[in-house]
Amino acid sequence: MEKFMNKLSESILDKFSMDFLRNQVLKNAYGNDDTMIAKMDPRILLVWYLYFALVPWFSDDVVFLIGCFLLVAVTTILAKVAGLVLCLFILGVFSQTGYLFLVTFLFGGDGSSVFPLLVLTVKVATVSLASITVFSGLDPDRLSNGLMWFGCPERLSFSIAYAYRILPMLMEEFQNVLLSFRLRGNPPKQTGVISKIKYLAYQIQVLIHSFYPLMLNTAKRSRTTVEALEIKGYRYAANNKIIKKMKLAQLKVQVDDLLFLVLSFLWVSIVVLISTLI
Amino acid sequence: MVKKQVGMNQSQKLMVFVLTMSLYGLATLFTELIPKFQVGIVEFSVEFFLFIPLILAILFDPLSAALGAAFGELIFSEIMLGQFGGLGELEKFITVTIGVYVAGRLVRNPLNKMMVGIAAFVGTGIQLLMGTVVDILKVQFAIEDFEAVAGLPESVYFTEGFAFFNDLLFSGILFCLLPTLFLVPKLYGKIEPLMGMEPRTEKSALSNISWKTLLGCLVAFAIAIVSEMLAESGMELFSFEAAWAESKGAMAIAMVVAALIALIVLMFFRKTTEIKEEVR
Repeated sequence: MEKFMNKLSESILDKFSMDFLRNQVLKNAYGNDDTMIAKMDPRILLVWYLYFALVPWFSDDVVFLIGCFLLVAVTTILAKVAGLVLCLFILGVFSQTGYLFLVTFLFGGDGSSVFPLLVLTVKVATVSLASITVFSGLDPDRLSNGLMWFGCPERLSFSIAYAYRILPMLMEEFQNVLLSFRLRGNPPKQTGVISKIKYLAYQIQVLIHSFYPLMLNTAKRSRTTVEALEIKGYRYAANNKIIKKMKLAQLKVQVDDLLFLVLSFLWVSIVVLISTLI
Repeated sequence: MVKKQVGMNQSQKLMVFVLTMSLYGLATLFTELIPKFQVGIVEFSVEFFLFIPLILAILFDPLSAALGAAFGELIFSEIMLGQFGGLGELEKFITVTIGVYVAGRLVRNPLNKMMVGIAAFVGTGIQLLMGTVVDILKVQFAIEDFEAVAGLPESVYFTEGFAFFNDLLFSGILFCLLPTLFLVPKLYGKIEPLMGMEPRTEKSALSNISWKTLLGCLVAFAIAIVSEMLAESGMELFSFEAAWAESKGAMAIAMVVAALIALIVLMFFRKTTEIKEEVR
């Protein structure tokens, strides 16, 4: 049994390496641009998202909420979201409401708190699945174009495009810095409780120390980036209406987009109908 | 204040923005992934690497650093990992911005350790306090009959209040105060030349926090709360549903029929466009 547990934890730790993280994030960003969701018009998808991000908060109708949840679950499957993201989603939802549930019992609550908390869980799950569909399913470039069309500040769309490109590099650099610290460092032995705490403190210290070279390196890099942007006239282009128009000309609403919208609408209205009949 | 100030150049501000965004974004990406370990009810969450934007706000232009931190968190840990929570993110965005900005404005001379420490602690505290207030309000509004459920209000106040002090004392000191105190003097004078700037000194710093800035921050704080309250109390906007409650069934049927008609029309359109494309 112990052997099995050891193997299990080893394999989990193995999977949870820096490379795995990087791959998952990259896969999430660029790996699935052949799905139905990725091909959709970002504007339509954002409007769709706005509905499913807002309306569930204001409804207490269980049938309606579950209906919405099922719909966004289907779209999440369609978007082929990376496993890590889904894992985080499940962890997040249950740690949020499950924790609250336990504490309610501590304060003399009884079974009556289950139902409101269940409603809250479904609400949270629906909203976050909708956001996973839109923000993980869409290509980052399309997403930032869509946000720009809705008049979001240029900085936001720039940041999205930049973040997805810089992340793999930053992760690699961070990993290298950490590894070099580990090579040169002398970690305390892990025996007994006190030395375990010491070991943890040491790890945290290394983590913080490693931000020192990282900060300096990133400072250099961001200077290069901004200088390159200046050469291309970025700050002028960001405020220029003609350039914005040219950039957004590639966005086109197709029949499939409207079909998606109408199908969602049909589903929601059927759910509303059912909830009124019950 | 006619004198040239630190980071007043627009492109240098953009540099600070990019720097803070990528660094803090990377850090929040990790915190999102690091499992939180709990000892009993005490949750030792590695809540944030807020020391990164704090340091950069102290060394460079506070507003750019604050905005960069907020954008970085939003994009790296929320949008990239699909954790975007809609309304809730607005609150986080504003609280992080205000917390970092205030901390950056407090420090005039980055070599003054006392002031740096106070700024780091105050910035963290402001950010956490606002988050706690908003969290309590959110649960209160999301659950119907909040008061009616036995034990729920107390438990929410307790967990939120506990989380606040836990975070402030644990993450606040360990992950914000100490790293800031350690890294600011180390980076001071080294990181600025890399970005083509002068280090911040007493003379070149933005003017001391005056009553005016304080008032401005208070107004921003009020705006944050009001916007959050508005977002949450949108319930009232939606409560018109009750007006047509009697005819809700008819309304729903009408909705279904409309959706079906639109669906059929669209399917027809799709067919015809496909044919056209084939003809081409």
